[in-house]
Amino acid sequence: MSAQQSAVAVNLLGTVEHPELGDSPYRVDADGAPYVPVGDGGLVLGLELGDSVFALDGDHTAPGACLTHSDEAARHALVLYSCIGNEAEVRTGAAAGARGAVIGKRGESGRVIVGFRASDLAAMAPGDQVRVRTRGQGFRPAWLPEGVTMLNLNPDLLDALPVSPGDETMVSVRMVLPSMLAGNGLGRPAAGWDLDLQLGPGDGQDLRLGDLVAITDIDARYNMGYRRDWLSIGITMHASSPLPGHGPGITPILTGPRALLAAREDRQAHIGLTAALLKLQ
Amino acid sequence: MKAVTNAERLVSQVLTGEVWPALADRHGYRVGPDGQPFVLPGMGGVTLGVHCGDPATGYAADHLEPGASIRHADPAANMAVQFLTCVGNQVTVASGPASGQVGHVIGQHAYVLVDFAEAVADRLAVGDAVTINAVGQGLRLADHPSIMVKNCSPGLLELMPGGTSADGRLEVHVAAWIPAEAVGAGVGMISEYANTDLMGAYQSLGADLSLGLESLRVGDIVAMADQDHRYGRGFRPGYLTIGVMSTGQCMLFGHGPGPSTLLTGPADAFRLVDDPAANLSSWYHDQGRGGR
Repeated sequence: MSAQQSAVAVNLLGTVEHPELGDSPYRVDADGAPYVPVGDGGLVLGLELGDSVFALDGDHTAPGACLTHSDEAARHALVLYSCIGNEAEVRTGAAAGARGAVIGKRGESGRVIVGFRASDLAAMAPGDQVRVRTRGQGFRPAWLPEGVTMLNLNPDLLDALPVSPGDETMVSVRMVLPSMLAGNGLGRPAAGWDLDLQLGPGDGQDLRLGDLVAITDIDARYNMGYRRDWLSIGITMHASSPLPGHGPGITPILTGPRALLAAREDRQAHIGLTAALLKLQ
Repeated sequence: MKAVTNAERLVSQVLTGEVWPALADRHGYRVGPDGQPFVLPGMGGVTLGVHCGDPATGYAADHLEPGASIRHADPAANMAVQFLTCVGNQVTVASGPASGQVGHVIGQHAYVLVDFAEAVADRLAVGDAVTINAVGQGLRLADHPSIMVKNCSPGLLELMPGGTSADGRLEVHVAAWIPAEAVGAGVGMISEYANTDLMGAYQSLGADLSLGLESLRVGDIVAMADQDHRYGRGFRPGYLTIGVMSTGQCMLFGHGPGPSTLLTGPADAFRLVDDPAANLSSWYHDQGRGGR
């Protein structure tokens, strides 16, 4: 793909999701205890970028409103086209006119996670319609080394993230994790799914929503899977899960061979995607 | 000493299903590890020429499902078929020219996978009805309370070498070891459904994709390191999961030949014996021996 191709913007429409549960309220956690999943999709209050992924006792809880579409194919397109940093605008309901931004997205049936100011979020409800100005898939900055792939990222946002161009693209991340911690999301297309990290609060990991994370030996150009000496970097956009094989999730944004893409771990001072960057303050 | 079980307390249930078609969409292509588009057979229908004991990889296939792939047409009844059917259960063809012929379950993969003798499989077609004698869920090992048994017929457990060893651990013979890095799609899913795709077994593709798993065979009993499948499939250091290879060659990235879960628990509760003969073909060549 030519480095000069410009990204196409497409306005799409999503609806704020209502959570759905089956006949039984229970899921079973990794230790065998039944629990009622709270915050798995829908609209969640009181969780923001910068909060610990272990701050709340939820399940895949995301900081904002999850968007879906009633038509399955349209829902997949909404998720595939949406990129982190894309602008969103509420069109119906009490918060009509409020501006937000895409924080990430989730796989399986597909959800786009949109962050809003807390006051706007508090006025919103499931069923509200939200326009998303999708843009970014297919874009690659001219300086990005051939061999490194960018995905799921609004073109204008890359410069604001801690990514340093060079012969080796260097990215500051909260943590670098081994591929064996990759969980649900493996084998699924990185353009539409997130990758869960198998981390629990007992692991002592101070991971925060919005943090960049690097995972070694994972190739996320197409489906996500094991490839030795490869690196994938994602943005943490949903919180932890009690389910085995699940955990806090990242939306992949950069992937490439380790010779071209590198990560510097900064456990203390890392700053990734913030509300300020997305103009949500 | 064979492990003491509650086999006499288990409920046998008769289930039905049918040979399910292979499924595709009009766009045809899926995407391989290096971005290569592919259209390859493997899932659904009746896959011929590959049986327990045969290599799992080395075919022009994706998600190769040996033998007949079975579902029930009603969605809820299908989940009963998928959850309650266990490896080793006897399956009888109930319609079509192969009526009355018997095979056995080798695993689950969102289909129940049934190995028949080649001459029987050759006469099967999509839509043929089958009857399954489902027994095994709820099987427990009285002297190994930390180990959970899943998807395993009591007949299979009886046929597998090993048992309660002198030091109190459960001896299991395994044909291969699987590193935690190999676990791909299927992680995070419940362990009574489908299986664990193993990455690092893409025959004839790049060395950077290999985890040395190209010699697995269909039906191999394998040990997965650091995998806890008690309440789903997840990574847990110090745990171990024993599975049986029920699917073969994949081209789809992040996927691969996969074991269905049989036993799971703390690694120190097991005593593993390397044994190339630890394969379903060692115990189920005689089609009449399936079932309980």
